[in-house]
Amino acid sequence: MTEFLQALILGLLIGGVYALLASGLTLIFGVMNVINIAHGAFLILAAFVTWSLWRETGMDPLAAIVVLTPLMFGFGWLLYNATIRPIRKAPPAASVLLTFGLALLLEGLMGVIWGNTSHSVRPGYFTESFGIGDIFLPKAQVYGGLVAIVVLASLYVFLTRSWVGRAIRASAVNPQGAELVGVNVASVAALTFAIGVASAGAGGAIASVLYPFLPGSHYQWIARLLGIIVLGGMGSLPGAVIGALCLGVAELMTVTYIGPEWATGVPYVFVFIVLLLRPQGILGMRLRQDVATT
Amino acid sequence: MTDAGAAIAEGTLKGGGAPPAGAPSRALRSPWTAVVAVAVLLVAVFPVLSDDLYYQNMIILSMVFAIGAVGLNIITGYAGYISLGQGAFIGLGAYTVGICVTDIGGSPWVWVPVAGVLAGVVAALLGVVAMRARGHAFVILTIAFLFLVQLLATNWDALTNGTGGITLPIPTWSAEYQYWPFYYTLMGLLAVSLLASWWIRRNKFGMGLIAIREDEDKAATVGVSTPTYKILAFVASAVFVGMAGGVYGYYVSFIDPLGMFNILLSVQIILSLLIGGRATLWGPVLGAFLIEWLNETSNNEFGGGNARLIIFGGLLALVVLFLPRGIIPTAAGWIERWRNRGKAGLAGERLTGIDLRERETPTPAAPPADARPLLEVQGLEKRFGGVRAVDGASFAVPEGSITALIGPNGSGKTTVFNLIGGTMAPQAGEVRFDGQRIDGKPPWRRAHAGLGRTFQITRLFREMTVLENVVAPLREFHVGLLGADAVSGREARRAEELLDFVGMRKYRDVRASALSYGQQKLVELAQILMLDPKLIMLDEPAGGINPTLIERIGEMIRELNARGKTFLIVEHNMPFVLGLCNPVLVLARGQNIASGTPDEIQRDPKVLDAYLGEDFRLEQPVGA
Repeated sequence: MTEFLQALILGLLIGGVYALLASGLTLIFGVMNVINIAHGAFLILAAFVTWSLWRETGMDPLAAIVVLTPLMFGFGWLLYNATIRPIRKAPPAASVLLTFGLALLLEGLMGVIWGNTSHSVRPGYFTESFGIGDIFLPKAQVYGGLVAIVVLASLYVFLTRSWVGRAIRASAVNPQGAELVGVNVASVAALTFAIGVASAGAGGAIASVLYPFLPGSHYQWIARLLGIIVLGGMGSLPGAVIGALCLGVAELMTVTYIGPEWATGVPYVFVFIVLLLRPQGILGMRLRQDVATT
Repeated sequence: MTDAGAAIAEGTLKGGGAPPAGAPSRALRSPWTAVVAVAVLLVAVFPVLSDDLYYQNMIILSMVFAIGAVGLNIITGYAGYISLGQGAFIGLGAYTVGICVTDIGGSPWVWVPVAGVLAGVVAALLGVVAMRARGHAFVILTIAFLFLVQLLATNWDALTNGTGGITLPIPTWSAEYQYWPFYYTLMGLLAVSLLASWWIRRNKFGMGLIAIREDEDKAATVGVSTPTYKILAFVASAVFVGMAGGVYGYYVSFIDPLGMFNILLSVQIILSLLIGGRATLWGPVLGAFLIEWLNETSNNEFGGGNARLIIFGGLLALVVLFLPRGIIPTAAGWIERWRNRGKAGLAGERLTGIDLRERETPTPAAPPADARPLLEVQGLEKRFGGVRAVDGASFAVPEGSITALIGPNGSGKTTVFNLIGGTMAPQAGEVRFDGQRIDGKPPWRRAHAGLGRTFQITRLFREMTVLENVVAPLREFHVGLLGADAVSGREARRAEELLDFVGMRKYRDVRASALSYGQQKLVELAQILMLDPKLIMLDEPAGGINPTLIERIGEMIRELNARGKTFLIVEHNMPFVLGLCNPVLVLARGQNIASGTPDEIQRDPKVLDAYLGEDFRLEQPVGA
């Protein structure tokens, strides 16, 4: 029972971090119909920058979010305008291939800069944990999960309460309609992409404490995030949160009861099961494109 | 601009004219054939003439990737589904051979066909999962598939020896023969997969795949049973790749999860296809040789590893941005433009001799009183959120009639069409066709049963030629018909006859996207006639086209009707409807409010009311 509770709580905490990372991916998909395969590479990039900051200045990785978020926002904005804007009208396949290319490029560049060895960020509290009865919760996981929830909540407030946030959601639901009521959908797309990458920045800083990483880790991350948004329903923000919590718990349960070597397989199994049984995911409508809804 | 279509429909186009635009393959055939023949010959004799093992190795690897890319071309190039997991079939093939040799024994060559079969079976299973997934969901599925088989190969120690990998026996033939057995086996496999690709590109199955790429929902309405097509396409794209993977595994003699399921294998295959040119025959091969050369260069000159990632990743991004169509189609486009410089296209030719004489319009004949209903609709309902687009519509279309379905905008006519055709599912109600319930059946089954429909805004397969558009529909599903030649032979002759009927034969090799709107309507009519339908449903056949063409379409409808075709027509052009159709059904607010002869409908107060509104007479004159 203790084992189960521990896995459940840790799974939910990890799930909070996944939720933050997946929300950026699902937001980009919802507004732009772009599957950003480079999302995993962005978060690994953020993790490496966090590592360098921690190494050089001793900055706490969770505090590094304050630096990483605006940094990755700017990076995302530039990248969008340089690469994705030109193919906005191209068939959706183009953006998948493009972001896949960007992911490989980033992986190679990170390998040149930081090397292809495993890195991890270990702040002072890294080895400490909270004990509640028999349950031990590593402090890094608790802090990371809580910070992710705070960032995610601010993103949610921004999307629901600000004009820009409403413009983003309007563009996701009906781009033509949004254009008619005065939303510049093209710049909203750039902004959304930048916000998505910024959330990968914040999430990457947190992830750097939770898991060791190397440039090639981005495959595992993107698989995980894609599994989450397929499960939650592509383009749905609440769906991403639900999917992330499910995946976090499912991974921890797999580690506890089946074996850690199978944990990476959980998201792939999610994808297969969801596409077989409920292609639109838990909350999504978009994935089910085989029924005309006009 | 629709004059062209009209005049051609009248059969008065002057003879001659430029070679049809949009048929680069035909225009380029002669120079290409020579180039390809020389290249094939060079590759064939290379190992005999030169004992340079470095290049022999490079060509062997190029051929492995070429087979991968030719296979990928079937689902990505023809059917339009992007797969990032194609490399997994190479790994599956290699593992099949490795495991069979280790656990059962025998020569690796014996197990190569088994590798192909296994790859085909796995592809079919993947196809079943992918059946309901479109676009992005499919891409995600292929990534998950690749990583999942890699994980299985890593963790299923008992079968695969995990990360330790499998070592295959060293070849037993004399060193004198170098890598020849690998070389020529792969060359044979490449030839067979190219032959398969060539065959698919010109048979009914391939036409259906391209139709799926262009417009999957429309493809379903012309009888293309999309799930079956997709599963068959996955199998076709995997079998030879699995066999090549088996040979590859034997060739490299060491099989481990990291090497065999490396995502870079998939990247290399995708890049080959993209650079060479999607949906072309030789593009994937050209691309594979280029990319393998680049791969060797990045390994030798830049030390591989990160440099290889940077080069491949950067190239992938650059190709998407600057060379989206690939080398062969881009080059073909240039050559074609150069050849056609200064010539007007066929579609732009001016036409003379349009016959504008007044014709007598006979009163449409009522269907015989004892005509049985070919189509019956009972209590059909369709809601979109709170909007009741169709709200209990019930009507029948008598066999042999030309029935009109009219009603004000927003009355639900097109939705009724979609419900009958199967593009949408109703929330309630029944649709009976030819005595059988068809609601609940997928669109292609309805097409096979004899239901053909056009769309309000024409939906031709834009990148296909006119002829290809007309041969794409599938009348009935059987395997023999899928393999039937589509661009020549019986199917093509039938299509040409139909094009002749609608007056578009001269345009057979023109790309559909180059046609005017009126011409597209004519081709779409020929397209559904290919189904040999009992009931033809036309959604606004007279919308947006000129009066001459409207008249010609009316004549065609009468002619087809005289030959036994029943029509259901949605139309706003009242003179057209009233001069052509009998009975006329009126739909308002999703319900049928009246039906009868054109005369009865014209006098029916309910119809006037529906079109003009209840308070029409009460409204104040403007400015009063």
